[in-house]
Amino acid sequence: MWREYSADYIKQNRSSGLSIVVAAFIAALFLSFLCSLFYNFWLDNVEGTKMETGDWHGRITGAFHAEDLELIEQFANVEKAVVNEELSGEQKTTVDVLFFNKRTVYRDMEAIRAWFKAAESDVTYNYQLLSLYFIRIPGDSMPRLLMPAYLAVVLIVCVSLILVIHNSFAVSMDSRVHQFGIFSSIGATPGQIRICLLQEAFLLCAAPIFVGLLAGIALSFGTMKAMGMLTAELVGGRQVNFYWHPAVFAGILFLSFLTVLISAWIPANRLSRLTPLEAIKGTAEMQLKKKKRSPILTMLFGVEGELAGNGLKARKKALRTTSLSLMLAFFGFMMMQCFFTLSGISTDYTYFKAYQDVWDVMTTVKDTKIEAFGLTAELKELPGADNTVLYQKAEALCRLPKDAESEELKNLGGVTVFGEEVADDEADFRKVKASVIILDDESFKEFCGQVGIAPRIDGAILLNRIWDSIHSNFRYPQYIPYVREDLDTVVLHRMAAAGEAGQVMDEKDSAKVPVLACTDMTPALREEYGKSDHDLVHFIPLSLWREISGKVGGAEPDCYIRALAGDRTSPEALCALEDEIIKIVGQTYEVESENRIQEKLDNDKMIAGYELVLGGFCVLLAIIGIAHVFSNTQGFLRQRKKEFARYMSIGLTPRGMWKIFCIEALVTVGRPMFLTLVLTIMAMAVMIKASNLNALEFIRVAPVLPILTFIFTVFGFVALAYFLGGRKLSKCELAKTLRGDSMSE
Amino acid sequence: MEILKCEGVRKIYGSGNNQVVALDRIDLSVEKGEFVAIVGASGSGKSTLLHMLGSVDQPTEGKIFVEGTDISTMSRTQAAIFRRRKVGLVYQFYNLIPTLTVRKNILMPLALDKRKPNQEYLEQIVDSLGIADKMECLPNELSGGQQQRAAIARSLIYRPALLLGDEPTGNLDRKNSREIIDLLKLSNRNLNQTILLITHDEKVALEADRIVTIEDGRIVSDEKRR
Repeated sequence: MWREYSADYIKQNRSSGLSIVVAAFIAALFLSFLCSLFYNFWLDNVEGTKMETGDWHGRITGAFHAEDLELIEQFANVEKAVVNEELSGEQKTTVDVLFFNKRTVYRDMEAIRAWFKAAESDVTYNYQLLSLYFIRIPGDSMPRLLMPAYLAVVLIVCVSLILVIHNSFAVSMDSRVHQFGIFSSIGATPGQIRICLLQEAFLLCAAPIFVGLLAGIALSFGTMKAMGMLTAELVGGRQVNFYWHPAVFAGILFLSFLTVLISAWIPANRLSRLTPLEAIKGTAEMQLKKKKRSPILTMLFGVEGELAGNGLKARKKALRTTSLSLMLAFFGFMMMQCFFTLSGISTDYTYFKAYQDVWDVMTTVKDTKIEAFGLTAELKELPGADNTVLYQKAEALCRLPKDAESEELKNLGGVTVFGEEVADDEADFRKVKASVIILDDESFKEFCGQVGIAPRIDGAILLNRIWDSIHSNFRYPQYIPYVREDLDTVVLHRMAAAGEAGQVMDEKDSAKVPVLACTDMTPALREEYGKSDHDLVHFIPLSLWREISGKVGGAEPDCYIRALAGDRTSPEALCALEDEIIKIVGQTYEVESENRIQEKLDNDKMIAGYELVLGGFCVLLAIIGIAHVFSNTQGFLRQRKKEFARYMSIGLTPRGMWKIFCIEALVTVGRPMFLTLVLTIMAMAVMIKASNLNALEFIRVAPVLPILTFIFTVFGFVALAYFLGGRKLSKCELAKTLRGDSMSE
Repeated sequence: MEILKCEGVRKIYGSGNNQVVALDRIDLSVEKGEFVAIVGASGSGKSTLLHMLGSVDQPTEGKIFVEGTDISTMSRTQAAIFRRRKVGLVYQFYNLIPTLTVRKNILMPLALDKRKPNQEYLEQIVDSLGIADKMECLPNELSGGQQQRAAIARSLIYRPALLLGDEPTGNLDRKNSREIIDLLKLSNRNLNQTILLITHDEKVALEADRIVTIEDGRIVSDEKRR
């Protein structure tokens, strides 16, 4: 009988179930998408770990022979035992063991160890891999962050979905309080009413949950494929596969049903606890509990504004899901748009625009000293390159006479004024941090020409500028000269040999370097000079570095090749140049390479990917809100028939009724929009301040158009929902309604 | 045989200064097969009494026995099962489920107990109430009088100990009112059905065997007419 009642109700009130169906679909879609994605991330992590650490669970070292290997494989739980050639020597052999059941790895390895009478230290475990299977064994201190993080996110999402969609059920159930009062009066127990409502929720949601689940899996498949395409083009990227397992499907199905049934249980339980008297007396017509005023609406729209305000306040609880969903959707969308805009400005400043003219292809030659690099001549002859520079960076200390500081710096209070660690070693000298950029000789000579001096390779060119961080911020830096223009020599010291204040440094750790020029010009390299710790930047030719490197040291492990292409605008030309460099250098050295245009394209793709995922989430939230408005307005006939009949009986025209609906639609969208706009503006003001950006610069490129499009689209749908609900209401017979007869929906 | 007994039943709504005494120490006894009309002015407490007797509400003090069972201390589930099996309630506004056919509405108390209907008894009721040809209609396809007949059929389907009517003719025209009262009298006589009826229609009250008058929550007269 209950099933018949529910089935009849669902058949006769399809529109009332719309928001529930949409909410269930979205819940299942979202959970399915998230869980599938996490499952894939987890397996990808397992695969990555296997590649990094090897595919083994336990490892035993000893004097093993071929027959011992067979013996190990005969242990019941052992899947495979293989000799690790890399770790094995003549005396000892290391055997990697894989088990069928990983949970007993510790017990089984102990048994193997005991059999071969090996020492405890001969057995090791792949803690990193085992931790991903949630296996903890003695001695394992690997943190297990991944799964708790996934579980926490899924839990938060489930709770959020319950909070959002339980109102959809509440609206449908509350509209039938009277009917359940009748059931109760003729003997239905609270439990029967609860079960009936949950059965109904199940009937309504089974299909959308199933479809949502499949759609979520399809969406996660698409996302993984998109990520695969993206990472395949990135440096160090590896193939991304899509994994699926029936157990995951069953888990998601269970989770989706649980989420939806808990959402249904909350209002069902509340409704079942009403006494029959409360339920029978209760009316679907929502009323104000106490007097409320809507001064702004009254002022703006007159009496219709006041009536609309009262109508919205009376249905405040029923519209809570709408408000919450729209608020989250607007906030998410606005923040996302503003954040990516701000981030774009910042990236342009610090990366793309800042380095637009100084590199096209950057190649990092791993673990190679510049003086040992032997392919400079070949690189200089590259056909597709306009200019190629080989360089390396080193850290040192520079011993400067105190009176070598520029007048501008002295006026500010000397280099110590910026709070950097500077030690005075003698009364008239101080040691400051020095960045050393070692250029290949040819490039150094070119830089000499750029600076306006005769090309030489027996001295350093100083970057004569220091960031005045007192009078400017990092976003808009102002520089002042660091040293006097006539400085002729500097002494560079080994960084590691830096002594205490007052200590004279050993000559074997220092080198006197002639200064060829002090300039505020820089060679075209993808480097940010002297901004982080107010260091004095030295450009040094490779020949000079060969002489002093033994004394100064401090070179970074890698050296770099910066190439400018002949055709700087064509992605194909840059890719060809990149391939050419890798072809020349990659045979001898380990290299990593970047390409300016590709980097920009990858960055754009990544942001577009983020926008797609986050934007999709915002759209889902907006759909929940809109579906809820539709559900509400489709119930107008039942909820507001009497309210409008009363208004019209005292002279409200149909035009007035439509005006009320327009105001309500406006407020339904306008209020969450306004609140989130204020919140977004406040959040962005904080972010703009934190990033030291000129607010006007952000305002000029503020994402007004996408935000307005989003808002107007949502408003369009809400207005449509009110139009359809209002049309139903306008067809209602006034006299019949006012008689207060018992009527079905 | 005493089928209903109220002992010092009080019902107080609200608390402190807002306290309203709806029923004040009601003592009442009804024999099986009696047709009792409870009359009184609006707000006198007669509806409250009816709700107590139907276990729809519980008294603040006192006891109510139906067929020897104290219904004043029942849990909500026990009360629901009691209502289903022992009480038939007929309201002024019929209270039929709008999405179910008349047949399903009538059979609902049995369906709640997962019991199959006695077809012969069902036919007897719907024939005598004159709604046999309306069984597959939805309530909104019926007139007010027909809806009230369906409601009476539903209240009688479980052969309840008590049939409680809350102004069952209050929403009907004179002709339909007359017919509904005649039907109630018929079930009272033919089925020996005990009926308690709330009304402020003097003509309806005069049809009953006994008239109990309530004023300000107290029984001020109890007149047996037959």
